[in-house]
Amino acid sequence: MKKSVLYGLLLPGLLFLGIFMVVPIVLTIGSTFYRGGSLTLSGYAHFFEDSYFNQILLTTVGISLITTLLCVALGFPTAYYISRKKARSKGILLAIAIFPLLTSPIVRSFSWMIILGRKGLINDVIVGLGLAEKPLDILYTPTAIVIGLTHLFLPIMIISLVGVLENIDTDLVQAAQSLGASRLSAFARIVFPLALPGLVIGAVIVFVGSLTAYTTPALLGGKQRVISTFLYQNAMTLNDWFLASVIAVIMIAITFIVVGLMNRATHQFNPKG
Amino acid sequence: MALLTLDSVSVAYGSQTILKDLKLDVEKGQLLSLLGPSGCGKTTTLRLIAGFMEAQQGTFRFAGEDYTRRPVNKRNFGIVFQSYALFPHLSVFDNVAFGLRMRKLKDSDIKTRVGRILEVVSLGGFEKRFPKELSGGQRQRVAIARALVIEPDLLLFDEPLSNLDANLRSGMRVEIRRIQQELGITTLYVSHDQEECFSISDRVAVMNKGLIEQIDRPETIFKYPATEFVARFIGFHNFVNFAERAESDGVITLRAGDRLFAAVGNPGTNHPSALKGAIRPDDLVVTAGSEAGPARVGSLPGIVKVSTYLGRSYQYVVETALGPFTANQEMEKPFYSGQSVTLQFPPDKLVLVD
Repeated sequence: MKKSVLYGLLLPGLLFLGIFMVVPIVLTIGSTFYRGGSLTLSGYAHFFEDSYFNQILLTTVGISLITTLLCVALGFPTAYYISRKKARSKGILLAIAIFPLLTSPIVRSFSWMIILGRKGLINDVIVGLGLAEKPLDILYTPTAIVIGLTHLFLPIMIISLVGVLENIDTDLVQAAQSLGASRLSAFARIVFPLALPGLVIGAVIVFVGSLTAYTTPALLGGKQRVISTFLYQNAMTLNDWFLASVIAVIMIAITFIVVGLMNRATHQFNPKG
Repeated sequence: MALLTLDSVSVAYGSQTILKDLKLDVEKGQLLSLLGPSGCGKTTTLRLIAGFMEAQQGTFRFAGEDYTRRPVNKRNFGIVFQSYALFPHLSVFDNVAFGLRMRKLKDSDIKTRVGRILEVVSLGGFEKRFPKELSGGQRQRVAIARALVIEPDLLLFDEPLSNLDANLRSGMRVEIRRIQQELGITTLYVSHDQEECFSISDRVAVMNKGLIEQIDRPETIFKYPATEFVARFIGFHNFVNFAERAESDGVITLRAGDRLFAAVGNPGTNHPSALKGAIRPDDLVVTAGSEAGPARVGSLPGIVKVSTYLGRSYQYVVETALGPFTANQEMEKPFYSGQSVTLQFPPDKLVLVD
């Protein structure tokens, strides 16, 4: 096929992305530096000076980081187990792992509200066992958001880890052991570095997903604001589109910084990955 | 005493027996190969010695110690895998240095030892390359260097040449033998390729269905296979079932139908009652015409059924009263299909097997 024809095939997709994604993003970014007829950084200055805004930003980043770490900690052993299974049981186990993705985040958040509430399952057990006198406040705290988000994103982490782990030949682990490595050290020096590309992809999706998630923090977070709910509040309730745009740009910036940092980390562990 | 001893080792997966009462001795400094078709248990034997699986019964002793349940990483055996199993994220240097780092050697020592071993496998200057950037033969040599650099007590090869093309294979074969003899490392070599095993081994063990059928020097196995299985595996395509045998002056006379045959017998290996004869296609002599007069010992008339050209020789399938025989013969003008011929069985080429 001629080159021009091949490029032509790209056109519909490029046009769609260009009109509906690139242009709005550029316009949004541009609008944050332009107020009252002149170029300005006041939007950002205002945001970072306000301690209330800062607290929301830090909480959101903190929640996203903890969620990402939890997904790695819970997902890695599961994914490793699944990846060592034969094709048939691997398919079944993966299907089970992915199953939660098929229900809507709203339904899942409501389920967590029932489980985490003051009269919910968890508090019934804790009070019933005498571990605490009064029911604990779990719902409507950052903890509840972390639990909900971890539940939401764990399947994605598992899928992306299984993808890399199943391609690691068992011979490699055996070779490492035959050269004197313990199981732990074979894991740390061979399996982990080789799994990093999948781990990073999973972590980026989970982190960015947690950073921008709306439904789960809105339903489980109570009065605790995160960036996305704060953005929504400014745009829809307070009608402050300028501040909403500033928040949106900050979210984009954080995403890029995180992706960049993670890529650099991978490269250090696994230069040929 | 042997350096390595497997004593009555058995392994089974469910109801499927992989190894049955296996006994094996390997002397220090020897290269022993395990030869057999896939599924014969040779790889299982190797993995068991390496420590990747455990014997359900029996013991594995090495240098006088019980190794049956010793973990892989405490064995100090070098293993060269069929897939090479090079660590894709590590450079050649780091791949080879891996075992030394596990042994907590000083960086300066690691550097000298890795450098020296890479010279041995002719890969000096490749330290910074990654496995992806190497050819098949080079990867193979990195794998060997990585196994050798830890100064292993035993070197294990699992079909190491099966992923290389034919030219490289014969070169690598010589290389492996040279390194093994130079360093005097006791070596166990697994392959399904008889030429490969015969060319590099001090001794060859031919395996079948979890048992060792014959273990001997390559020359002995090549000339005098002990069993029908071994004979078939190493290229004896013709078998004769004899009805009776008589022995005098070191010559065994055998009868099949109304024909008589002579065999010299196998020195060393005793088959006092064996009634099955085996002969290679190359060793049968085909002459034109069916003989006149009384039947001579060791000859068998027949008719050419198929004639094929092999390049250096012609191959004939000859139908006889004792069944079809395959014979290869170098000649200028070939016999044609349907022609009457006589097969001659030289007494020193007719082997008796169990």
